[in-house]
Amino acid sequence: MVSNNKTRVYAWSLLVVAAATLSACGGSSESPPIPAVQALSAAAVAGEALFNDKSLSASGQQSCATCHVKARAFTGDPAVDKGLPVPLGGVNMDEPGFRNAPSLMYAAFTPPFSIDDGAASGGFFRDGRASSLAAQAVQPFVTPFEMANQDAAEVVSRLQSSPDTLRKYIAAFGGGTLGDANATLTNMGAAIAAYETEDVEEFEPFSSKFDAYVDGKVKLTDREVNGLALFNNPGKGNCTACHPSVHQEFSSHALFTDFSFDNIGIPRNWNIPANAADPVNPFTGVSLKYMPAQTNVPADAEYTFYDMGICGPLVSDPQDGGARPDLARLIPSCGQFKVPTLRNVALTAPYFHNGVFPEIHKAVEWYITRDINNNTGNNPTPVPAGPGGNPYQAVGTFFTATDGTPDLYQYNDLPVAYDANVNAGEVPYTAPAIAGGNGPTMTAQEIDDLVLFLCTLTDGFDPNNPSAYNVPAQCQPIASP
Amino acid sequence: MHFTNKKSLATRSAAVLAACALGAATVAHAAEPKSKKTEEQQIKALQEQLLAVEMQLKKLADQNQALMQHQEQIEQQLQQQQLALQKAQAAAAAAPVQSASALPGNASALPGNTSALPGQPSSASGAGQAAPPTANTSGTGMPASANPLPGAQPGGFGAGALDNVRLWGYGELYYSRQSRDTSRTTADLARAVFGIGYRFDSKTEFNSEYEVEHAVASSEDPGEFEVEQFYVDRQLTDRATLRAGLFLLPFGFINEHHEPTNFYGMQRNFVETLIIPSTWREGGLSVHGDTDFGIAWSAGVTTGVNLANWDFAPEFPQYTTALELANNGPAPLQATHQELALASARHLSQYVALNYFGLPGLDVGGAVFTGKAEQAPGTVGDSRVTLWEGHARWTPGKFDLSALYAHGAISNVADANLANPGSPNPIPSAFYGYFVQAAYAAWEYGDYRLNPFVRWEYYDMGSEYSGTVPQIPTGTVPLTDSPGDFGTWPSNRDRVWTTGVNFYVTPHVVFKADYQWFDLNKAFNRFDLGLGLNF
Repeated sequence: MVSNNKTRVYAWSLLVVAAATLSACGGSSESPPIPAVQALSAAAVAGEALFNDKSLSASGQQSCATCHVKARAFTGDPAVDKGLPVPLGGVNMDEPGFRNAPSLMYAAFTPPFSIDDGAASGGFFRDGRASSLAAQAVQPFVTPFEMANQDAAEVVSRLQSSPDTLRKYIAAFGGGTLGDANATLTNMGAAIAAYETEDVEEFEPFSSKFDAYVDGKVKLTDREVNGLALFNNPGKGNCTACHPSVHQEFSSHALFTDFSFDNIGIPRNWNIPANAADPVNPFTGVSLKYMPAQTNVPADAEYTFYDMGICGPLVSDPQDGGARPDLARLIPSCGQFKVPTLRNVALTAPYFHNGVFPEIHKAVEWYITRDINNNTGNNPTPVPAGPGGNPYQAVGTFFTATDGTPDLYQYNDLPVAYDANVNAGEVPYTAPAIAGGNGPTMTAQEIDDLVLFLCTLTDGFDPNNPSAYNVPAQCQPIASP
Repeated sequence: MHFTNKKSLATRSAAVLAACALGAATVAHAAEPKSKKTEEQQIKALQEQLLAVEMQLKKLADQNQALMQHQEQIEQQLQQQQLALQKAQAAAAAAPVQSASALPGNASALPGNTSALPGQPSSASGAGQAAPPTANTSGTGMPASANPLPGAQPGGFGAGALDNVRLWGYGELYYSRQSRDTSRTTADLARAVFGIGYRFDSKTEFNSEYEVEHAVASSEDPGEFEVEQFYVDRQLTDRATLRAGLFLLPFGFINEHHEPTNFYGMQRNFVETLIIPSTWREGGLSVHGDTDFGIAWSAGVTTGVNLANWDFAPEFPQYTTALELANNGPAPLQATHQELALASARHLSQYVALNYFGLPGLDVGGAVFTGKAEQAPGTVGDSRVTLWEGHARWTPGKFDLSALYAHGAISNVADANLANPGSPNPIPSAFYGYFVQAAYAAWEYGDYRLNPFVRWEYYDMGSEYSGTVPQIPTGTVPLTDSPGDFGTWPSNRDRVWTTGVNFYVTPHVVFKADYQWFDLNKAFNRFDLGLGLNF
C-alpha cells in the first residue's frame, strides 16, 4: 500500500515534470502578420475624389488637399497661404482662418471625445469638437473662410456638376440620396473618412526610420538615440508624457500622442489676422465678418480676441449628434488644445495650433525655456544667459506685436485671469519660482539631438535603401556636425 | 460535555430543594392529628424531626457545595483546554505548520504560535502537534483530517449541511505618518480578508481567500477586490498532497503566512514585498509533503511572469512614500506577476521549496522559482525569470531571530531596454534584498504579550541592468501631477532600520507600533501605528 502510494506520488511528479517540459517547449513569439494592403472600398475611392476635387468649393480653387498637402504630411502649405500661419479660403481664396491646419495622418486612430474628471481627450479638430472623422470632414465644405458653400444644397449641386467625382460617389452610395442634401453631405463625409482610414499607405504607413528601428531593421545614430532618450527621460524632455513613444491602446504602433488636451501657454501669434486689435482681411482691408462670438473672455482681458480651444469660441456643429458638449463654462479648460501626433513633425511647420513657431527647433527651445528666459516681463526670476545658464534669449518670449516688442504678460495668448490654466507642473516647464531655481532641463546640444530624433519620425524610410530617405530640409543643418 | 454537566448539576439541586420543601410540608401536616399528646412530647418530637431535617439539609448543602466545586474544576479544565485549542489554531495560522508546502512546525516566537513561547512545548520536530493539520488560512499542505479544524472557534463547521464548511478571516488597518512630510500621512483599512473552505472528504479539501484592499473597491476608488487563493488539496499519501488551483508560493516567511499576527511591524518587510512579491500566488499544480527526518518539500508548475506591459515611461516616480513603495507595485515581480487574471500562460514556470524543521526551534529553508516570461516588446528570444531565497529562523528561549536573502534575475532584457532609451524604469537584470531581525518576548500577562523587535534590511530593485541604465531625473522635479508637488526622484534601493513592538491582546488581535529609518530615501521615514487580527 505504501509503495502504491509512493508510486502514485511519483506518477504525479512525472505529470508535473511533463507539464513543465511541455511549457518549456511552448513555442516562441511570433510577429503579427503584416496587413496586406487592400483595395480601397468604393466609399474610399469616392472619398479620395472628393478630397481632391476643387470644384466643390465656392472659389473653385480649394479642396481638402489644398490645406492638407500630402507632401507636408497633409498639413497646410505656408506658400499657398501667402505666408500666413493659417489657411486661406472663402469665395475669393483670400479669407484667413483661425488655426494652423493639423495633419490628417494617423488621425483615424483618434478616439471619440471624452472627459473624465475634468481631463478631456479625443474628438476631432484641434479642439475635439467633432464626433468623428466623417463629421469633421463635412465642416470645411460649409465654412465661410474655407470652401465657403452656403449650405449642404450648394455642396451637392457642385457635386452634381463634377462628373468624375459624382460617378464615384454614386458607385459607393447610389444616386438615391442626391435629392437629400444633408444626407448626401453626410455620405461625403463618410467617404472622405473612409479614404483617410483605408488608404494606409497615404495616411497610416508607419514607415518612418523610427518604425524601422523599432522593428530592428535599422539602427539610429548615436545622436538620434540620445534624442529618443531625452524625449523619454522624465527629467529632460519628458515629451513621452503626452507624446508616448511606445504604443498604447489606440494602435499597435506608437502614435506619439495620447489624444489628451493640454494648455501649454504658447505665445500669441500676431500674424493671425483674427488676433489683431481690429481684425481685418490683410489683403482687402475688410473686417472679418465671420469672427466667432467671444465666450469666456473677461471684460478686462488684454486683447479682443482669444482662441481658447476647448472652451471656445468655435463650437460644435448642432447637426453633429455625438459631438463634444459645449465646455464654455469649464473655465479651467480654457486654452486647452488636443495633443497632436509628432509623426512627420519635421514636415508640418509651422507649429502649434496658432503656428507661432516656424521651425521645429524653435518649438523645442521654447518648451525648454518657456519660463526661463531673460524677459523680465515674463519672468520675475530670469536665469542669466551664458554658460550653465539660459542659452536661449530669443525664444520663449512673449511679444506685443509682430515687431518683437516684449509683452508685459506671460502666456499672452490667454487672458491673464486664466494664467493658472497653463500647465506648469510638468517637466520641461520647470518654472524657477516653484522648482527651486532649476535651469533649463536640456542643453543646446541636447535640443539638437532631440530634434534629430524627431526627424526620424518622418515616414518614407526604406531600410533596404536608406539613402533614398527624404530627410526634411529643417533636419539637415542640425545633422551636420 | 460542558453543558451536560451544568444541566445535571442544576437538576440535582432542584431535586434537593424539592425534597426539603416536601419534608417540611409532611412534618406540618402530621402534627395536627396528634394534638392530644402532651405539648412537650409533641414539641420534642417536632424538634427531633426538625433536627433531622436540618441535618439532612446540611448534608445536602455539603453535597451541593462539593458539586459546585466539582463544577468549577470542570469549568477550569474546559477553559484551559479551550485556550490550548486557540493557541493551537493560532499556531496553525501563524506558522508554516503543515503549510502550503506541508512544512512542519515553525520556529516562531510570536504569541500566535505555540512553538517558541516559554513554557510551551516546541512543535519544531513534530509538524506542529499543537496545531491541527489543516491551517485555517494561507497554507494548509495537508488535507482535512478528523482533528478539530482551525477556524472552528467561534466560526468553524456548522451543523448539518454546513458540517464541512469552514470560515475564517483576517485584516489590518493602520495610520502611517511620514515624519519629514506629514502632508502625506495616510490611514487605511489595508486589508479585509475572508476565507471559505470546504472538506469534500477526509482526503480532499477546498480553500479560498477573498480580499478587499483599501476598504472600497470600485472604478473610482483606490481599492481592489481580489481572489487571493482558490485551490483544492488532495491527499495522495500520508506524506504527500497534490494541490491544484490558485495558491501561494512557499517563499520566505511571509508569503504564505501574511496574516498581521504573524509578522513584526505594521507593514511587511520590504524584502518580502519588493523582491518576493508577497502575497505572491500563481495558478497551477503542485505536490507537497514531508519526511521522517524533518524535511518539508513542495514543487510545482505554475503560471509565470509577464513583462509585456512593463512601464518604461513613468512620468512621475511610481512612489513618493514608503507606503506607495509597497502598494504601487514598482518592484520587478510586483509589476509583472499575473495573479491569474487572464494570465498569459504560453510559458509555465516551475518552483521547488525545501524546509528543514528537524531541530527544535529551528527553521531553515529555501526556494527557487524559474520560468520563461511573456516577453517585453522589442525582445528577440526568450526572457527567463528566476527568483531564489534562503531563510532561517531560530527561537532560543524568548528570542526570535530570523534572516532572509532573496535574489531575482531576468534574462535577455537588453533589447527591450534599448528600445526605450531614456527610461527612468528599464527592466532590471537582477534585484535582491536581505534582512536580519531580532525580537524578544519581553512581557506577558494572561493573553497580553509584548514583543519588541528590531530589523535591518536592504533592498535593491535594480542591482544590474543590461542595454541601458535608469535615467533618473536629478534635482527637484515634479513628483505627481499636482501643481507644485516637487521633490527628488526616489532611489530604487535603500537600507532600512525598523524598530517597534507587537502588543497582543489575544493571540488573534495585535496592536503594532514602529518607526522606520531610510538611509537613502530619507523622506520616507515614518511612524506606523495599527491593528491586526485574524481568526
